[in-house]
Parts: sequence; C-alpha cells; structure tokens
Amino acid sequence: MEKEQFEIKILSPTISSLLNDDIDQRILSPLSCLREFETNWLLEFDLPLVNKKDIKITIDKNFISVEAKLKETYLEEKLGVKSKFEYFKKTITLPRKIDSKKIFAKFTKGRLTITIPKVNVGHKIKIE
Amino acid sequence: MQIKKKLPKENIMLVGFPSNGLVGTFSISYLIHHLEMTQVGEIEHPDLPPTLFVEDGEILPPIRIYKKNNLFVIISDLPFNPFVAYDFANSILDFSKKNQVKKIIIISGMETVNRDPKTPKVFGLVTHKSLEKLLYDYGISKFLAGSIFGTDAALITSFRKSKIPALVLYAECHPFFPDPEASIIAITTLARVLNVKVDTSDIQKKIERLRIQHRNLMEETLRSLHQQQEKKTGRVPQIYK
Repeated sequence: MEKEQFEIKILSPTISSLLNDDIDQRILSPLSCLREFETNWLLEFDLPLVNKKDIKITIDKNFISVEAKLKETYLEEKLGVKSKFEYFKKTITLPRKIDSKKIFAKFTKGRLTITIPKVNVGHKIKIE
Repeated sequence: MQIKKKLPKENIMLVGFPSNGLVGTFSISYLIHHLEMTQVGEIEHPDLPPTLFVEDGEILPPIRIYKKNNLFVIISDLPFNPFVAYDFANSILDFSKKNQVKKIIIISGMETVNRDPKTPKVFGLVTHKSLEKLLYDYGISKFLAGSIFGTDAALITSFRKSKIPALVLYAECHPFFPDPEASIIAITTLARVLNVKVDTSDIQKKIERLRIQHRNLMEETLRSLHQQQEKKTGRVPQIYK
C-alpha cells in the first residue's frame, strides 16, 4: 500500500488568524520582524512561494510597503472553508531617524531583508 | 523510513514543541508520520487553553504521546507560557521514570551570530557527562556558550536534576519565521543518533507551503517566548511586528 503523503498536522492555537489576511482580495499577510542594530535597522519579511521579480517595495513618508505575487495559488482550508490566496502584502511603520535614501534590500531563499541605515544626529560631548 | 539496524533496546524519549523556527514541531511531526507511530496517551493541564483538534472525526488533544517499539515521542502543538513550561517538563520527567526511559532527546531551534545560511549546523547540549561521548561519536558540535530560556530551559532544569540524561539538539534557524529547512538538518542529525535512515524528500518538497501554513503558530509561539523571556530576564524583548 502506498504510504500516505506527508502532512504536518499541527493544531493551530487560535481558530481566528492572528494575521491580517484578506480573503476577499486573496492577500496573505506575511510574517515580518524588525530588529535594531547599532548603525541600522533590519526589517525582514518571510515571502515563500515568491520570485524576486514579483516583489514591489515602496516607501511613503513613515511607511514601507511590500507587495508580492505568489508564483502559484496558495489554498487554505479552515473549518471546511477553502480560501485562495495569490499575493502577500504588508505595510510597516518605519522607525524614526533613518536615512531613507540609503535603504537597500536583498531576497534570498524566500526571505526579504531590508537594511535601513540610521542617521547620526546629535552633538559630541566633551569628556573633561 | 527504512531501518538500517535494529533500534537500541533502551527506551528513548523524543520531545518537540513550538519554539524558535518551529524546528521541534516540524521535526517531531515528520518522524511520527514516517515511523508510523501510535498515539498512546496525552498530557492535560488546567492552565492550557481548552483546545482540541478534530481530524476525520477523531478528537486529538494538543499534547500527545506516541510510541513505537522502544521509542516514545511527546509532541505539543501549543506553545507554553512560563507557568505551564515547568509543569510540562515535570510531566515528561514523571512519564519517563514510569516507563524506564534511559535517555531523552529534545529537538529545538536557535539563532546564532554569524550563521552561514548555506551550511546550518546542529549544536548539542547534554545534561549528563554520560551523553558527551554521543556528541563526539555523531560529530555534533557542542553548545558551548549562550543563554536558554523558555520550555527548553524548563526541560533541561528538570532532567539535569534527575538520573535520566537529556540531549538537546539545537538546529540553527531563523528565530522569528517557520524554518522547515532547519528542521531537515535536525531530522538528519536525530536519525544518525537513533541509527535510522530518514528520507526527507517529502518535507523538502513542502518547505515553502509549510512556511505559509504555520505563520499563525509562529506568531503564537513568539508571544509565548517573549512572555517567558520577560519573566526570566526582565529584559525588553526584541522588537517584533
């Protein structure tokens, strides 16, 4: 007898999604994280099933938006209801005191990494 | 899964629960499926949210115990808050004592500084010297320095005070995103330790979908981890949105 296809059966701790998926617009909300380092912020998005050419990043004042088209439709079934998703989309508020002209992004293995340099503001304090 | 040699006779316990990169959950779920293990019990706790999973009309509790031959597995689909983590650890210790378990292996994930994403590694931490040889025998790098918090820490604390040695296999992973790739490294290492052969092609094919499918569990796990970290260290957790 052929072995049943592998499926990870993990119970979701909450029935309702913690993420803002938009079922009507077929948009998934990707996981993201923002981490602070000494000279920059690192903003990451988890974008599996996405090709680099299908990602659009836009910055508008204090916000950064990432949109991406999935390379294939993602089907999800919750409580017997099937939903189809074709896009990822998320907008994040940018940290303050950043050099928005020097922001750069990389996409590797379905993870988008956006480096946001900080601007040095303030003045030197003389040590007596 | 093909068995290369007979499994050792002594009872071994494997444990997986949601933590960094969901490495433990992915790895243990995969092994349960491939070993075709049978559910033999469950763990309940009054402080856990009353949750059940129904599949094909069968009711599944969130913390389940599986068995096949000399191998026991405990898997949790729920991340734990700091209050439940110690009870969970002590329940596993009690169960292990009652069932003459000689060794426990915990699968988890960890973030490392200067990680090479092309060649993620697995680090081993042992509670008793008797397991140190195992690290050398299977070429597992020893976890030399770092801090551990959360359910991993609760389990290590409980077992290091007991006579049952524990080995924690930490696969390098992305701490905030589901990381099935890191799980594959963990599964491969675990297979070597258990002396079994595991074909990981099934999970390889589903890496990207698993990452989407388990976003919610990752979010929930991070909330629990932050709760545990705050309680343990009192430090402000890393910013996560």
